[in-house]
Amino acid sequence: MFPSPESLNLLPIIMPQLGESIAEATIVRAAFSVGDTVEADTDLIEVETNKAVMGVTVPCGGVLRELTATVGESYAVGAILGYLEVSDEDAERIGLHDAPPAPVEKPKKRQPVGSDTSKSSKKHVEPTVSGLPVPAHAGGASFLSPRMKARMAELGLHAADLAGVAGHGAGGRVTIDDLERFLQDLERNTISPASSMRVAVADAMRRSWTRPLATVVLPVQLDILLAHRKQQIVKAGPALYALRALAIALSEMPTTAGRLIGDRIIHPRSVDIGFAVEAEDGVLVPVIRHADQFPLTDLVERYNRLVELARARRLPGSDTGGSIATITNYGVFGLTMATPIPLPEQTLLLGMGAGKITPFWDVEKKAFVPVTEAQFTLSFDHRVLDGGAAGRLLQRVAQLLGTPETL
Amino acid sequence: MSSITYLEAIRLAQRRALEEDPRVFIYGQDVGGFGGAFKATKNLAKEFPGRVLDAPISEDAMVGLAIGAAIEGMRPIVEMQFADFSTCGFNQIVNQAATLFYRTGTSCPLVIRLPSGGTPGGGPFHSQSMEALYAHYPGLVVMTPATVEDVYTMLLEAVALDDPVIFCEHKFLYYHLKADKLPEEALPFGKARIARPGRDVTVVAYSAMLHEALAAAEELSSDGYDIEVVDLRCVRPIDTDTILASVARTGRLLVLSEAWPWGGVAAEVIARVATEGFGLLDAPPQRLNARETPVPYHPALWGTHRPTASSVANSLRQLLEL
Repeated sequence: MFPSPESLNLLPIIMPQLGESIAEATIVRAAFSVGDTVEADTDLIEVETNKAVMGVTVPCGGVLRELTATVGESYAVGAILGYLEVSDEDAERIGLHDAPPAPVEKPKKRQPVGSDTSKSSKKHVEPTVSGLPVPAHAGGASFLSPRMKARMAELGLHAADLAGVAGHGAGGRVTIDDLERFLQDLERNTISPASSMRVAVADAMRRSWTRPLATVVLPVQLDILLAHRKQQIVKAGPALYALRALAIALSEMPTTAGRLIGDRIIHPRSVDIGFAVEAEDGVLVPVIRHADQFPLTDLVERYNRLVELARARRLPGSDTGGSIATITNYGVFGLTMATPIPLPEQTLLLGMGAGKITPFWDVEKKAFVPVTEAQFTLSFDHRVLDGGAAGRLLQRVAQLLGTPETL
Repeated sequence: MSSITYLEAIRLAQRRALEEDPRVFIYGQDVGGFGGAFKATKNLAKEFPGRVLDAPISEDAMVGLAIGAAIEGMRPIVEMQFADFSTCGFNQIVNQAATLFYRTGTSCPLVIRLPSGGTPGGGPFHSQSMEALYAHYPGLVVMTPATVEDVYTMLLEAVALDDPVIFCEHKFLYYHLKADKLPEEALPFGKARIARPGRDVTVVAYSAMLHEALAAAEELSSDGYDIEVVDLRCVRPIDTDTILASVARTGRLLVLSEAWPWGGVAAEVIARVATEGFGLLDAPPQRLNARETPVPYHPALWGTHRPTASSVANSLRQLLEL
């Protein structure tokens, strides 16, 4: 008597996701025969896509019990190609007998009922390959049908909102049915409206994220700056020092703040620098116009007034927008380093980490001395400048902050 | 109850038209004593003496005479022996009949019956589907009934219309299709019909293709799919509203036609849905037509030339996976 299939630890051998745009692959060769003992991560079956020949592996060793795939035939990603009998320990470890996540609706109302499934089983792709944290087909939202677009426009949805939806269409694309099922499932959660501020920030960040963004980091000593600040009657915040330093640095090398539109660099008209102010459920960015043309002391009052207006959400239109770079002082949250996202219309974002007292090797004294140091970051659009240019700009800012009397 | 075939329904409609309207007469080759090539006018010459007239073998002359009679207030029904032969009267149909009202303000109440479409062994000259050709011309009405009930009511409707009507009756349906009784009521002129409701795909079909669509829909229902089938009934005017409403329900469209794809009815339906209902489509609209060769004589070749229930089912499965 053969043991019933349930009593065996039969691990399905699954056609893996072989690349972003690959929906199916052709079986070239089976490297083992039924009954062979195979090891984990060995190439069991060779498959070919239009891009390359690759191997199908299993996460643990075992005995090859069945090969359902035929050489020369094509199978969809996620299709079962055969079965491997594995030990109890391995079955436990890889969660072989764990129930698959419960589907939202009837998983496949179109599954043939009581009919011969052999002819169609090959074409039906399960959206999730067992064991992967993310559905293998989650990338399917890349193609949106006209109906999807119309429905999403109606609901105010963006492609990013569908990032986690597993598609059932060709190549794993998200069909209108997938979308409606997804929306229906959301209704089971607690739902609250996003504030208009939240929606505005989300919109700006999503648009900015379409670009290749990068960040460079530099530790900056702040002792001289802090000493200078102490001597002033009207005290500027560290962010204003940084703003003024960035303004001077950008007036020296304005193309680093340029924008790439098509094959042209759009140079800034004037050195207007914004600074991030947390307000309610989002961030506002007031702007100091011509920040390169006024000494620090002249800017303090303007700066403080703009902060107040922003916090009260009463910032006039003339005091926001049109800036070429932004300062964000995430150090106020106790953060030492971050990679914030520049505004969509800007190339640069200067970030300031929290200052802290750190031992510094003083070459002259031949001893460690305590210094106040903060990590400064410059996040930038990598299409416009590279690490070198970003680094030089950040070095120049650090240098200027070391001579606060010139600001 | 004795069953009535599609062909008998055509004969009974003509009989009723002759009976009810003295302006109606039938004109065509061998329609008189012989009763027509397919016996669609059987016994009518005896029953209505002098009103079912044999014509010479000249489609040009037949249509020309009928247009003249229509101008003078008659309501002629012209029978072409085969739709294919209507090309010999093409000039009269598209240049004279179609433009008459536009040019002169005189209407042209004329019906031209085209025994259309393929049958096994029909070959290139006795199998063609000409509806797209005539539907191209403003001024012509083109009807493509798919059922016994429609062929009866629509032929009466064609006779009653003041415009020239190209009446495409399908030869393959002549004997196969039967109904228990003839209807007293019909859908309004130019209105398409939802022949089978569904929510997964819209299949737009007309004439004999309706039955292939329904068979394919039945086949796919065992796989759990609900296929909606729209019977166009009339290809010009075309009922875009019903088509768009159906695509709004399903998001997917397959259009069937026994005619060739180039510039055809299927192309027209897809063009309208793409331009007026782009935002309704969740997959590229598809069409399934006859293959682009003359209609083959050999029955086995003919069977693979035109769309069939199984090729429709295949197309539907592909469309459902897009």
